[in-house]
Amino acid sequence: MTEATDLAERAGDRDPRIGLRAVSALRRLLEQLEAVQVRSARNQGWSWQEIAAELGVSRQAVHKKYGRQ
Amino acid sequence: MFERFTKDARAVVIGAIEHAERAGEERVDEPHVLLALLDREGSRAAFALAALGLTGQREAVVRDLAEARRRGGLSRADTDALAGLGVDVAEIVSRIEEAHGEGVLAAGRQGGARRSGRRPFTRGAKDLLAMSLRTALAHDDRHIGDEHLLLALTARPGVPAEVLADHGVTHESVERVLWGKGETKAG
Repeated sequence: MTEATDLAERAGDRDPRIGLRAVSALRRLLEQLEAVQVRSARNQGWSWQEIAAELGVSRQAVHKKYGRQ
Repeated sequence: MFERFTKDARAVVIGAIEHAERAGEERVDEPHVLLALLDREGSRAAFALAALGLTGQREAVVRDLAEARRRGGLSRADTDALAGLGVDVAEIVSRIEEAHGEGVLAAGRQGGARRSGRRPFTRGAKDLLAMSLRTALAHDDRHIGDEHLLLALTARPGVPAEVLADHGVTHESVERVLWGKGETKAG
């Protein structure tokens, strides 16, 4: 299937599909990376406040998203 | 919608939840649905998968799905699009795993608190269920069977469709073995 090859071939042009897919993929990757880093910080004893400050969001936002762990 | 699901289709949905639970994953996603489809025996989807030669390749499919999950669930089309931006996903995964352990990206947002509670479906998985209904309607089928779930899965861009296609199971080939059509794009 061809979707991957097709996209690879067209990566050079200005097809919005490629750009939008890249943004969407980047967003998903970002979410995963954030989860890894937050988990790691918590394991090293960081407070929610400290994590929130580094991420540039409110303590409540981080806690709501990851607090159940 | 679920009242229209056949026994086999319900078993797939329940199986998908069980796969998510067993893996300790917080949400039920489309790859979990594919894993559950692979477990079925004697159903329409099982017939299609067997007819397309997937029976002996089950382990390989499971491995491919696990590999994609290790990349943070990104499909090849995703990583290609990111490569176009100069983002090397393999490099990122390798560095993160070096620092935080193998398979760490696959862990997602799992916490452990949900171990026994109800697991929500991802938006993609919900869309897949809705699409299986449209797929059934497009074939004038009154009930939603596991074959409609399989067909919907092959029609949606993403990891399951890519992995299936790598093993010869595409929207067209499923249509052909189940409905005797080749060209139809109806989803």
